[in-house]
Amino acid sequence: MSTVPETLPGIDPLEAAPVLVGRPDDRALTESLLRPVLEPTRKGFLALLGLLALGVLLWLVCLYEVLFKGIGVWGNNIPVAWAYDITNFVWWIGIGHAGTLISAILLLFQQRWRTSINRFAEAMTLFAVAMAGMYPIIHLGRPWLFWWLIPYPSVNRIWPNFKSALPWDVFAITTYATTSLLFWYLGLIPDLATARDAAKDRVRRVVYGILSFGWRGSARHWQHWRIGYLLLAGLSTPLVLSVHTVVSFDFAIAQLPGWHTTIFPPYFVAGAIFSGFAMVLTLMIPARKVFGFEHVVTPRHLDNMAKVTLATGLMVSYGYAMEWFIAWYSGNPTELFAFVNRATGHYQMVYALQIFCNVVAPQALWIPRVRRNVLALFLIAVLVNFGMWAERFVIIAVSLTRDFIPSSWANYAPTWVDWGTLIGSICTFGLLFLLFLRFIPAIPMSEVKELRRELEHEDHHAAAQALRGKP
Amino acid sequence: MTYVLGQFPGDRALLEAARTLRAEGHENLDLHTPYPIPGAEEALGLRRSTVPIVALIGGVTGAVLGYLLQWYTVGFDWPLNVGNRPPHSPPAFIPVTFEGGVLIAVLSIFFGLLFAYFRFPRVDHPVFEVEEFRSASIDGLWLSALVRPEDEEGVAEALRRLGATNVSLVAAEREGT
Repeated sequence: MSTVPETLPGIDPLEAAPVLVGRPDDRALTESLLRPVLEPTRKGFLALLGLLALGVLLWLVCLYEVLFKGIGVWGNNIPVAWAYDITNFVWWIGIGHAGTLISAILLLFQQRWRTSINRFAEAMTLFAVAMAGMYPIIHLGRPWLFWWLIPYPSVNRIWPNFKSALPWDVFAITTYATTSLLFWYLGLIPDLATARDAAKDRVRRVVYGILSFGWRGSARHWQHWRIGYLLLAGLSTPLVLSVHTVVSFDFAIAQLPGWHTTIFPPYFVAGAIFSGFAMVLTLMIPARKVFGFEHVVTPRHLDNMAKVTLATGLMVSYGYAMEWFIAWYSGNPTELFAFVNRATGHYQMVYALQIFCNVVAPQALWIPRVRRNVLALFLIAVLVNFGMWAERFVIIAVSLTRDFIPSSWANYAPTWVDWGTLIGSICTFGLLFLLFLRFIPAIPMSEVKELRRELEHEDHHAAAQALRGKP
Repeated sequence: MTYVLGQFPGDRALLEAARTLRAEGHENLDLHTPYPIPGAEEALGLRRSTVPIVALIGGVTGAVLGYLLQWYTVGFDWPLNVGNRPPHSPPAFIPVTFEGGVLIAVLSIFFGLLFAYFRFPRVDHPVFEVEEFRSASIDGLWLSALVRPEDEEGVAEALRRLGATNVSLVAAEREGT
């Protein structure tokens, strides 16, 4: 009972997998969950870090190109003024949504399987939002003037136009980034204190001691902490819905066929959660194996995440179907043309990729065997990541290539800087995430201990009832 | 003043000890646990948390400021005619009003907790003087009582009687819990 089981017990298909394997005691849990943070650096970690650092270098080179030579180094031009830059922005911000969904909405719904994956998903959110926030700034023609978006009394006399969706974006994204960071950190404070107390060397004790502000697990603090944490969850829930809604307004309030759609807010939010869960699965499946989190991130968690992916995938598919229906039903020839062009035009392969990855591939998740097969689940999650990127590209760039007047039509082709900013940002995200896994307790220990305590009480209760039920 | 610390084997014993000491007239008690223990508020006689009020005030302030900012900048100070929409146009002001409310509410919860409720940063609290107290964030359930020097032996004895181990005394350098 007191140690963490080395291997998972065989899973009976008729019985739901547990959210926590075994009932390890608090010390064993702490040891197993802090191992990645306190153990000596592994060679594989350094190798992966070096590989990702190369990607970061590529990213920096591309940023240099964009900042010092101008956005002409990208393939963007009129009419396709928004291409990879905004596609990447929407893709990253969408990925960021799953973190808040898991940590806030599932907390309010008292979903127990949220407990061991929330920190992980929140960290993913933070880094994804950081990557997302970069793009709107660097895609400005004069990025060094981005602070003109902030309403402050300047000599220009003019203020941001609050009747446009773009300043809403500024407020939505900064609020979202701030809220995600503070929510994540508030949950982290007790675990940083655990890291401080479990660490054997002075450096870690001092660093985690400073980071945990002197948390001493006081009942008086826990009382306020719980209420504060719950309130942050309650505030994050409408916030997460508002952020992607505002992002979708950037497009929906424009006149362009393919953008001018009322279905965008819910469809973007569903897509965001879809891509976010796919990214959590993509990162979690290897991490739980490598860092030995299999007793707290069990097949039950993967199964539930797969179900959410499937459900949101169906919502996204419904969105695709409705777009086609409205394009036909509206009787607007330019609108219908925009959709026919997506499926049969110059970028039909990207559209086919979108449909295959987002509509067809997730259907395999109806089958319980697929949801329990980590490799299959990982592959589907990766496909969804590709598919959601393709979706954003199709919506943003492909719509721009064909607007109302054929004389203004032009195709778009990415340059190496376009690819470099995308691949580089993925590597930077990966690097940040790897550092997170190495230096910060990735599984919320205090919450897992609380969960274990609850489960134990239920075990006792069930055992007592079973005894009483005997003749 | 002195802190008397004791570690308890289970949460029932811990809560029972807190109740007993409170019944004996000791008010400056606290529990230190790796996760929140249900029933701790009742055992210590804590009042309801006031954090929701802080959040409400912060949220309303943020929303009002958000709206006023938009009204002042584009509706009053420098009316911009974009698409012939009215300069003061409430429907367009909803998103920023909402975001402003959430932002200030979140900031007041987080920094209110940290600086006003927890009085952090405080890494030199006297309870940290006890080496065994490190377990309070790992698996240890601790009780601390701030008592006058003449009471310290009595309280230490009471803790031992109630089942505590690692009973230790630490001098509190300053006033407060």
